[in-house]
Amino acid sequence: MALRGISVVELAGLAPGPFCAMVLADFGARVVRVERPGSHYDMSRLGRGKRSLVLDLKQPRGAAVLRRLCAQSDVLLEPFRSGVMEKLQLGPEILQRDNPRLIYARLTGFGQSGSFSRLAGHDINYLALSGVLSKIGRNGENPYAPLNLLADFAGGGLMCVFGIMMALFERTRSGKGQVIDANMVEGTAYLSSFLWKTQKSSLWEAPRGQNMLDGGAPFYTTYRTADGEFMAVGAIEPQFYELLIKGCWGMLQFPSQKFA
Amino acid sequence: MALRGISVVELAGLAPGPFCAMVLADFGARVVRVERPGSHYDMSRLGRGKRSLVLDLKQPRGAAVLRRLCAQSDVLLEPFRSGVMEKLQLGPEILQRDNPRLIYARLTGFGQSGSFSRLAGHDINYLALSGVLSKIGRNGENPYAPLNLLADFAGGGLMCVFGIMMALFERTRSGKGQVIDANMVEGTAYLSSFLWKTQKSSLWEAPRGQNMLDGGAPFYTTYRTADGEFMAVGAIEPQFYELLIKGLGLKSDELPNQMSMGDWPEMKKKFAAVFAKRTKAEWCQIFDGTDACVTPVLTLEEVLHHDHSKERGSFITNEEQNMSPRPAPLLSNTPAVPSFKRDPFVGEHTEEILGEFGFSREEIDQLKSDKIIESNKAGSKFWILYPHSNIQK
Repeated sequence: MALRGISVVELAGLAPGPFCAMVLADFGARVVRVERPGSHYDMSRLGRGKRSLVLDLKQPRGAAVLRRLCAQSDVLLEPFRSGVMEKLQLGPEILQRDNPRLIYARLTGFGQSGSFSRLAGHDINYLALSGVLSKIGRNGENPYAPLNLLADFAGGGLMCVFGIMMALFERTRSGKGQVIDANMVEGTAYLSSFLWKTQKSSLWEAPRGQNMLDGGAPFYTTYRTADGEFMAVGAIEPQFYELLIKGCWGMLQFPSQKFA
Repeated sequence: MALRGISVVELAGLAPGPFCAMVLADFGARVVRVERPGSHYDMSRLGRGKRSLVLDLKQPRGAAVLRRLCAQSDVLLEPFRSGVMEKLQLGPEILQRDNPRLIYARLTGFGQSGSFSRLAGHDINYLALSGVLSKIGRNGENPYAPLNLLADFAGGGLMCVFGIMMALFERTRSGKGQVIDANMVEGTAYLSSFLWKTQKSSLWEAPRGQNMLDGGAPFYTTYRTADGEFMAVGAIEPQFYELLIKGLGLKSDELPNQMSMGDWPEMKKKFAAVFAKRTKAEWCQIFDGTDACVTPVLTLEEVLHHDHSKERGSFITNEEQNMSPRPAPLLSNTPAVPSFKRDPFVGEHTEEILGEFGFSREEIDQLKSDKIIESNKAGSKFWILYPHSNIQK
């Protein structure tokens, strides 16, 4: 397995962290999920392949237990707001002094610095602050967050996994760990770089919901069927559009795609 | 940089591949983008940090050129439908025989096998086939694809980058490359594992658009402000919800219970009426700095000037004064070093690259005169043909 022999300590949090750690476990890492006393179950249900340990980090002796675990682990994944680990005497300076090879991954909404870094938030807030939410939504409606997939899992969990993999790879050369600031605002924005990069093209010249890729085009959207189900249409290129028209009506009897 | 010394050959395609290769370039890999003759520019505009070579892969001598490049590279990234590379005599068996360390990444919509694997498609189709699209959309409306972000970039490009990184890491132990089947249907589904894992919980018991996370809850959605802008509300936990109610100037005891789903439609109307009374800036005054989980829905422009991203330097400017997100995540010792330069012209570096890979001057000239390669150093050909193009509007 790609990650055999890699040991991960995951400090329990919601969605993004559990997903990140589950992916590492899926590819062979040994993952220990550290939960606080009083936790009932992993609400995100993303515990596949992990083992669970309950530990009270707020007690100095509990923090000391974690230090011992991290001294012998490859990756620590913590989801707390900026400053929390430091307050528990478990910040990167301390843990990486114990273990210079430790990869200290910090997966948060707003990041380790900045005016919002100590505030609470959820996927929709990070998506909103990234700029990306403003582009998503139908014509005439409010912007619409696609569940908690874009910030929690894509710009958050998966982007953090990517960062951890880079640090593991880089460590094979340098022998050293790193601190990763994986935050969902920046992760989601970076994932969506295409939007900024094509801002000046004709792709986004209409208001939200009236462009080709955001629900405006008849050939890039979903349609309801006779039985109340749905079909997805994504026929952008002319040769594919021809086949769409043919499949719908048997012959081309509508004006050309660009002006339809 | 994390990926210094890693060389990548990217066969040009749309969105997912270019994004994957751009991420590798941002973190230090040397990326060569191979474009077909007749290409004008990278429609996805994700050419940061890359060099461009024009090569006709359909000609046997063109395929042979690619073989030589791949023999000396770490990663090949190809976006073609299953079977295309094999037909060009450029499949993994051949290229990995030349170079057993080669990581052969195949980034497609439907994958290398399966009844849909030779069909055309786009993000919305892969999202639809993954099952995920069926969960996204407002009450009473058709499912709605969030632009092309979930399949093209998240389940596609980023998932493929993750696969490539795992293969690079694994190769430090085994000395061997691998073949990666990174397809958007499975990548998007895996990314969204949470949906399957929580299917039996109460999180999704209502029809699409009526659940907590898909637009049903009054405390997890967006609202229009007095100035036609929007605020995002994500106040799930009771203590955050209290702060939301307080900030709205409402009284909890006059409202139904937060989790009373039957009351959500009414509460949404109530909250909407309150939000409509003040401007976005006024709501920010009230909610910024609190734990109410209420944030402005910033536009792509506004985010460049917002305090939080300014303090963090979340956006970078290039030599053309274009701003885009800084690469994520932040690595403390080996941060990304995204190129400051403009994107390459198609074919701008053909000769320079071939020279580096050991092609002699004579070979390069011969390939050029036989139209196996094209060289376009100043981008002049394109500009002569398309002087009014909006490419750099």
